[in-house]
Amino acid sequence: MMKNVKRKEKNVYWLVIVIMLTMSYAPARAGETSASTVEELRAEVQALEQEAARLEEENSGLRGMLLNDLDNDELYLVVDTEGNRLTMRKGNEVLHTAVCGTGSRQSMKAETGTKWYFETPMGSFKVLGKERNPVWIRPDWSYAEENMPVPPPGDPDRIVRGVLGKYALILGNGYKIHGTKWKKLLGTHFTHGCVSLGDDDLELVHDSVKIGTRVYLY
Amino acid sequence: MRNSKCEARNIRNKIVGLFLLLAVFLPGAGAGDQGSGELAALEERQKSLRSKIEALRDEQDFLLFQKSMYSADSKYLILNIRKNTGQLKYKNRLLKDFHFVPSKNFPAGALKPGMLVLTKKIEDKNKRPALMFGSSFILQGKKRKPSPEQAKLPYISVTKRDMRSLFFAVEEGALAYIVR
Repeated sequence: MMKNVKRKEKNVYWLVIVIMLTMSYAPARAGETSASTVEELRAEVQALEQEAARLEEENSGLRGMLLNDLDNDELYLVVDTEGNRLTMRKGNEVLHTAVCGTGSRQSMKAETGTKWYFETPMGSFKVLGKERNPVWIRPDWSYAEENMPVPPPGDPDRIVRGVLGKYALILGNGYKIHGTKWKKLLGTHFTHGCVSLGDDDLELVHDSVKIGTRVYLY
Repeated sequence: MRNSKCEARNIRNKIVGLFLLLAVFLPGAGAGDQGSGELAALEERQKSLRSKIEALRDEQDFLLFQKSMYSADSKYLILNIRKNTGQLKYKNRLLKDFHFVPSKNFPAGALKPGMLVLTKKIEDKNKRPALMFGSSFILQGKKRKPSPEQAKLPYISVTKRDMRSLFFAVEEGALAYIVR
C-alpha cells in the first residue's frame, strides 16, 4: 500500500516537472525565434523608412523645380490651327476660347514663277507688338492673286486701312492675330497665314495680353 | 488509514507547491505574445512603406519625364486612365485638354503608369485619323472602324474635332505618358 502511494507520488512529480519544463521552455524558444525575426524586420522597416524619406525629398525638389518653370500666373495664347480655335489660358485654366481662322494650306504660283504656300506657322511665339487700327501692307501675293502688277516695296499703294479690324497683335515675320471682314469664314482655313478673330474676341484678347505674352501655335 | 490520508495530503501540498513554482515561469509565455504583437505591427508598417515607396517611385518617374519634356522641343500627351482625360502639352504649357472613352477591352488595370511612344499615325480610307502606340492601344476618333489588323488592339476614343487637332499636332515618335 505504502509502496503504491510512493510510486503514484513519483509519477505525479515527473508529470508536473515535464509540464513545467514544456511550458517554460516553449515560450522561451518562441520568444527567441520571434526576437530574431523582429530584429530583422525592424532593420528592414528602418531601411524602407529611409528610402521613402529620400524619395520624398527628391520628389519635393523636382516638384519645386517644375513649379518654378510653370509660371502659373502667366497668361498665354494657344492656337489650334487644325481645329481653328484660339484659347486664352492661365496655368491650367481656360480663360476664353474663340473661333478663329487660320492659313488655307493652299499654294499659289505667280506668272513670274514665284510660289506661295498659305500656312499658319507653328511653334512658340511672343507678342512682339500691339496695334490699334492697324494698316495692312499688301504683300506681293495679294497683287499676284488679282493678276495685278506688283508695286515696289514701300509704295503707298500697298497701304490699306480698315481690313484688319480694330486691333492686331504682331507675332513676327509678317504674321499677326487680327480682325477680318470675312466673319462667316471664321472656324475654317481661309487666311494667308495670319490668325483671324471676330471683333469681340479680338478686343478681349488685345486687352488681355501684353507685349511678351507667349503664343503657342500647333 | 490515518497515515495514508496524511501521505495523500502531503502529495497534494507538494503538487500545489510545484504549480506555484510553475506560475513563476509562466510570465515567460507572455513575452512571446508581446513579440508576435510587435511582429504584426512591423509587418503592417513594412507593407504600407513598400506601397508608399512604389507610389513615390511612380511619381518620381513622372516628374523626371516632365522635367525632360520641359526642355525638349516636341509636343507630348499625358493620358490619365483613371479620369479618362488627356492633355496635349508643349514644354511646360498646356495646349489642349480632352476627354476620352476607353474601349471594352482597354486594359486600364493592366496598363502601368509610364512612357509610351507614338509609333504610327494612321488614316483609314475615309481619311479618319488615329494614333497608334505600339501594341498598347490606339487613340482614335469616335465611330472610326479599325482595319482588321488593328481591330484586336484596345483603343480610346475622342471627338472627331479633338482627334484631328491631336493628329495634326503630334509627330511619329512623340511621347505619351500614362498616369493613374
